[in-house]
Amino acid sequence: MRISSQTAARLRDNAPIATLVVLVLLVGVLSPTFLEANTLMLLAADTATLFIMGAGLTFVIMVGGIDLSVQAVASLSSVVMAVTLPALGFLSVPLALLSGILAGVISGVAQTRLRIPSFIATLAVSGIAAATALMLSGTRSVPIPPGMRETVLAFAAARTFGVPNDILVAVAVLVVSLFVERRTVFGRWSVAVGAGEPAALVAGVPVNAVKIVALAISGGLAALAGVVMGARLSSGSPTLANEFLLPAVAAVCVGGTALTGGVGSVARTLVGALIVSVVRIGMTFIGVDPFAQQIVFGGVLVLAVAATIDRSKIPIVK
Amino acid sequence: MNDAIATGAGAATAPASGRVHGKPRGMRLGRLRPFVPVAVLLLLCIGITLIAPNFLTRGNFVRLGISAAIPMVLACGMTFVILLGSIDLSTEGIVAVSAVALSLLVKNLVNDDDFGLWALPAPILLGAALGCVNGAVHVRLRIPSMIASLGVGFACIGIATVVLGGITVRIADPLIRDIALTRVLGIPLSVWTALGCILIAWLIQTYTRLGRWAYVLGGGEDIAKLSGIPVGRVRVAVYTLAGFFYGVGGILCVAQFGQSQALIAQGYLFSVITAVVVGGTALTGGEGGILNTIVGVLLVTVLGNGMILVGVPPYAQVGVQGALIIVAVALSTDRSRVRMVK
Amino acid sequence: MSAVLTLDAVNKSFGAVRALADVSIEIGRNEVVGLVGENGAGKSTLMKIFSGVYQPDSGRILHEGTPIVLRSPLDAARAGIGMVHQEQSLLLNISVAENIYLGREAAFIRMGAINWRAMHAAARRQLEKVNLDIDPARRADSLTFAERQMVELAKALVLEEETEGHIVVFLDEPTSVLEQAEIDILFSRVRALRGRASFVFVSHRIDEILELSDRVYVMKDGAVVAGMPAAEASEAALHRLMVGAGRRTEYYREDRQAACESRVVLAAKDLGCAGHYRHVDFELHAGEVLAIAGVIGSGREGVVRTLAGLLPHTEGRLELNGAAVAFRSPVDAVRAGVGYVPQERRVEGVVLPMSMAANITLPSLRRMSTWGVLGTGGERALAREWVKKLSIRPPNIDLPCGNFSGGNQQKIVLAKWIEAGVRVLILDHPTRGLDVGAKQDVYDLVRTVGEQGVAVLLTADTLEETIGLAHSILVMRDGAITQRFEATPGAKPAQLDLIRYMV
Repeated sequence: MRISSQTAARLRDNAPIATLVVLVLLVGVLSPTFLEANTLMLLAADTATLFIMGAGLTFVIMVGGIDLSVQAVASLSSVVMAVTLPALGFLSVPLALLSGILAGVISGVAQTRLRIPSFIATLAVSGIAAATALMLSGTRSVPIPPGMRETVLAFAAARTFGVPNDILVAVAVLVVSLFVERRTVFGRWSVAVGAGEPAALVAGVPVNAVKIVALAISGGLAALAGVVMGARLSSGSPTLANEFLLPAVAAVCVGGTALTGGVGSVARTLVGALIVSVVRIGMTFIGVDPFAQQIVFGGVLVLAVAATIDRSKIPIVK
Repeated sequence: MNDAIATGAGAATAPASGRVHGKPRGMRLGRLRPFVPVAVLLLLCIGITLIAPNFLTRGNFVRLGISAAIPMVLACGMTFVILLGSIDLSTEGIVAVSAVALSLLVKNLVNDDDFGLWALPAPILLGAALGCVNGAVHVRLRIPSMIASLGVGFACIGIATVVLGGITVRIADPLIRDIALTRVLGIPLSVWTALGCILIAWLIQTYTRLGRWAYVLGGGEDIAKLSGIPVGRVRVAVYTLAGFFYGVGGILCVAQFGQSQALIAQGYLFSVITAVVVGGTALTGGEGGILNTIVGVLLVTVLGNGMILVGVPPYAQVGVQGALIIVAVALSTDRSRVRMVK
Repeated sequence: MSAVLTLDAVNKSFGAVRALADVSIEIGRNEVVGLVGENGAGKSTLMKIFSGVYQPDSGRILHEGTPIVLRSPLDAARAGIGMVHQEQSLLLNISVAENIYLGREAAFIRMGAINWRAMHAAARRQLEKVNLDIDPARRADSLTFAERQMVELAKALVLEEETEGHIVVFLDEPTSVLEQAEIDILFSRVRALRGRASFVFVSHRIDEILELSDRVYVMKDGAVVAGMPAAEASEAALHRLMVGAGRRTEYYREDRQAACESRVVLAAKDLGCAGHYRHVDFELHAGEVLAIAGVIGSGREGVVRTLAGLLPHTEGRLELNGAAVAFRSPVDAVRAGVGYVPQERRVEGVVLPMSMAANITLPSLRRMSTWGVLGTGGERALAREWVKKLSIRPPNIDLPCGNFSGGNQQKIVLAKWIEAGVRVLILDHPTRGLDVGAKQDVYDLVRTVGEQGVAVLLTADTLEETIGLAHSILVMRDGAITQRFEATPGAKPAQLDLIRYMV
């Protein structure tokens, strides 16, 4: 019994990375140009925003919740940035991040104080965020003034020694997230809350605060993803990140973070995000209709969740 | 994930220190609570009338009926799912697939099919089949319905997009358009269809085992299982039923818009969940029902209609609905009974 | 007298704990059988064997003389075994009639639709059996607890129409949520129904058992220690059987029970919590073990939950070192230096998937960090120290807590609190489910923390344990304190003294 559960855990730990390697080799064989440095760089750049969003989501899923508002929050943040750039300059970036953190805090307060399940609280907040973005942008895409992309937004849009800066932002997010996850009290508390909320509560862990902070991090990182996306595309738009929720949730779950909480890591989400990107690029190489990719991701998400959740924690699956 | 959200059957988890208890817990829930949504609806109507007197015109009522028809049909399905204590995020996807199927089977500007009204069962059956898949994925793989339906919903949008290759199909069959245009007793057929769906849903809720078992599962699935109720099959059946209503919704969408495309139902998921929850059907399951949902749909529709009459931009609606969800769930949750919120 | 149901030499173990040991009982036709025993004596395991939830490890169940196998509650129902549970199992969101016929609706389907008139008429007939005159269409949550109990009884009696043979209805602590007048009604109903069914009445209230039963079985430590006609039993004799032989002083380390200090650490003044307990007064001194005795429903669970921060009090004052405190959550309690060792060890005690080391340091993380950043290495050294001090086995500090035995899990819980430097320790059934050796370890630890000046509030599994460990004892009944005892070594009260104030 114990051996089999340990084997299962080992499988769960190593399956994502093995999948990634196999996928990379497979796509590499089918299309040798894939393994060239330039293509791989492109892959990394494509993965950056998805990973940033997924990293935030990981914190929420670790404590056993979910954040369905990430795509709306990312769009909102791109709009906030684009609209305020002319007037505020660089200050528009922290303002955009703040809008995301605020959205997360609202979800968190609704979840913990009003006792609304996180999926419905964040769904509701995504509606509010979407409406706000539409209002601020006048329902249109807001262009970023020429010149600002190269100056104010250089941190996300330029290149450093030939490496696109969005990759560097993603690496920074990875490093900071790993630090928070492994070396801080908050990181330990989130594992405890996700793995055994009643015991964590009795041990004096401020469960509600942990949940609110997790959602705030998720909102903040979704907003950062929105800023990076906006900088890349030179505009903010209320529908900018509209296709991102499913890949982001899929990236977290495919990486091996369990939806039931307590098991997972931002490092796994990196692997998951890379898998999602490789699959996407691989499908394009093979000639799969880009529209059909949604179908694949839907299936992948369902299977990944089925493989990772801890059913002993949910005797009744609703 | 929802298991821990609510402590299912109240008394089963109430502390056993009975003798010092006063009244049983159920009695503390105000008997007035079910009427709150109705009162809010009436107040809303009065308020809007004061600001915009043309709210109370026959023309506006018909307009209200028309914009309520599609959400109402979809909400019939969603109600049963939420009664289970589950959720269905696949609504928009299944409606899209049904709508695309119908638009390609009737006379249209893309292919040569022309099955006319004979095509009508197709979207309904397709919707039911997809709902069944949805339920089967959720029950067989034992994953939360939120994720199962999220995956299936996105896959459905993908299917609809692939089938159409990203284009929009205009239909040229006047009989289908007539569903939205022809009026009987001054009311469009689409509204009659919605009324028919309400009747069907009410009959199922009141007179069939499936309907009653939806309440039983929502009230306490463990007790249901001990009583020999095939809980897995009930869940799949409820999702199939939901898919049936989504199929009907797909027909109404095609009739109303005269076309179909993969994102035809975008935005409906949100307003449907809002409507069901605002009507007083509890997300924790077992409480509420189709009558609540009627009130909820009317509330959401009147609110949207009123906002337009008052001059609020239409895109603000989704934000107001979001706030409404939070308020409604907060009001309908008995916080003393909910211990862990995931 | 021919037996309807017989349990023949049944054994059942959970891990190292033997829940039922060679249990044999007989339930005769039209008989009311009483089953008494303390909490943890094996009554509920026995019920679960009869209702098909558990299967015996060995031994047989006989129905009218033929062996049967009960794999599920449905099997039990087919054999004519009905259950009226202590935690009521009615669904509150559906009607009385639907509850009675839950899972049996097929009989009322006409042309695909439920014939409500027929179902309500049938339900009314069932309700008549228990003499309850209510509308079967009413929602269950509009009924009083007593009415719900009657509906459950009616639901159990539906079996009469479904099975050929004689039916047996188990009543599991049916009186615990009822007022006296309601209990009288329940008893008169059971007496009236004896003509058509047998009853097994499970309770820890001896007076009620004697009042209702024809024959009584007494359980202790998983075994049936006596069976006799009720007419031959007396309350005192049953009490003696229930609690068993005299206590052994060395078992509870009474030699190590030092006199407590005079300093009051925790004081409750007219403490109350609506719906749970009221007018609770006590003083807990440094180094003292204060035990609360009482049956389920006595209110002691509520007092414990309040001190743990899980159930805020609504009346009176709680003072910690002389200053008034109000715990709105366990965060407050832990900050104030109060640690809770819960009954549900695997749910509230340890975070099962987390490592032993992480569990031990969980409440101390604030202290072990600077600006929220954890130091390196300190945690592991600390955990190793505890492994040595408490001889936790296996000594693998990275092993998830779920892989430890119950006794070692309990050591981890205690280590967690001692490490956090608590001044008050709430022990809620600290030895539940532990084997003898592990219990001894816990008793040792209780003495050790006492010597260090930690104040302990205890609710124990047995009276033996209560008396053996405590310096002083409060007895609670129906939400209020009924008596106080001093329990210094050599001058310990007798169990019967306590029981008198418990029931």
